[in-house]
Amino acid sequence: MVKKKLVKKVVKLVFPQELIKEPVTFKMAKKYDIIPNIRRAKVTETTGELVLELDGEEKNIEKGIKYLIKLGVDVEPIEGDIVD
Amino acid sequence: MYTKGLKCRECGREYPKEPLYVCEYCFGPLEVNYDYSKIKKKLSKELIASREKNLWRYRELLPIDGEPIAGLQSGFTPLVKANNLAKELGVKELYIKDDSVCHPTLSFKDRVVSVAISKSKEFGFDTVACASTGNLANSVASQAAQAKMNCFVFIPADLELGKVVASLIYAPKVVAVEGNYDEVNRLCTEIANKYKWAFVNINIRPYYAEGSKTYIYEIVEQLGWRAPDNIVVPVAGGSLISKIWKGLKELKMLGFIDEPNDTKVATLELEHLRPSTKIYAAQAKGCSPVVTAIKENNEIIKPVKPKTIAKSLAIGNPADGYYAFKTVIESGGWAEDVTDEEIVEGIKLLARTEGIFTETAGGVTVAVTKKLIQQGRIKKDELTVISITGNGLKTQEAVSSKLDKIIKIKPNLNSFENEIKNIS
Repeated sequence: MVKKKLVKKVVKLVFPQELIKEPVTFKMAKKYDIIPNIRRAKVTETTGELVLELDGEEKNIEKGIKYLIKLGVDVEPIEGDIVD
Repeated sequence: MYTKGLKCRECGREYPKEPLYVCEYCFGPLEVNYDYSKIKKKLSKELIASREKNLWRYRELLPIDGEPIAGLQSGFTPLVKANNLAKELGVKELYIKDDSVCHPTLSFKDRVVSVAISKSKEFGFDTVACASTGNLANSVASQAAQAKMNCFVFIPADLELGKVVASLIYAPKVVAVEGNYDEVNRLCTEIANKYKWAFVNINIRPYYAEGSKTYIYEIVEQLGWRAPDNIVVPVAGGSLISKIWKGLKELKMLGFIDEPNDTKVATLELEHLRPSTKIYAAQAKGCSPVVTAIKENNEIIKPVKPKTIAKSLAIGNPADGYYAFKTVIESGGWAEDVTDEEIVEGIKLLARTEGIFTETAGGVTVAVTKKLIQQGRIKKDELTVISITGNGLKTQEAVSSKLDKIIKIKPNLNSFENEIKNIS
């Protein structure tokens, strides 16, 4: 039996206006068996921002992130861009 | 010993003085937390004036506990009164804070790296590292060599070698990663977490960023302890602009700034202080997430894919973008972006009027200042400072095809005089 690689990954999600009302994080978590832990959140009239810790199988987390990107969510590593 | 430790900028949770950079609860960025009551008792304008002209003259406001070991000649760059440029732009008082001549690698990064290297030694690291393709890599490689530390510089593998020569000369280990910028970023974060290395802009970032404050301390001191009415600042990751605001608040809290109609300030809490300087953010149109957020009054920064000649500002997902936004809004300033053509014109304008050759980021601040004056946001009778953070010799390709042609002549007087006639 292949051993599953479990990882934790911290990401920042930026939602466009049309997705703010959609439960996309829940759908992603359910579809790919990921436990999302919300650490910080902010919603304005036009955008939403969510800092999440994702806990699950490495492959599933990759798939979950791709799913979010496909829906139009911007997914960034929490450190931001460190290339100066 | 003027630092208490680190503090989360989001939730306020406190941490000890360690190489940490992110809050383990809310993942907010950590910032150095000072003992301002102690600093207030010790630091005076006279004490500062009695010290050598380098960035360590403000050492109580910098996060090291022992003696600095790097940057002993860094900082205290010229504040040039730019009369020719002022006349051209139609304003009375204009200054250039010229970090294109900062020691040792001709950019503002020498300030932050001086602090990062000194702090890294204090923490006991023997290796420093960074992910960079430009000014930061130059400064880390140079100052690590001088401090006798091992140095690793990470770059994307497809980068032209010419861009790393100014780092390679100091003999760091340059690691070319087969991937794009995002992948270099991700890998460096993993390496920083695993190896006991000081990544200046990852695990040393809270300390490193404090070095930026010396830029505004110097401006205020060089103006005779007066804060400018306006300062135009380039924005990449958003750290410099927010530290300029923090630096102004610290000087106000210490009572070092004489402001018109000022009432004496008794608080040690920086968030309650409002310096009178308006801060303006400057970005290139091809990468302007902070300017867009300010114009839309939306505090959430939407990441972009950069496409501009201003490579040193090409950060599409600025780590301190929100704080840059907050700085501009709090100070009552504004933000503007300019096209690549305007950037080149800005570089040429500064060179033609003041004899200063800046890199593309300087072209951005000059062009944005021009725009802000034309819009009437910067008033003609106000004192304005333009931030120049890097040297044009490093980005010659940005302007080389857009300069006047050279005059070719035969080696005789006749030929010279014929050509001169054509010119005049």
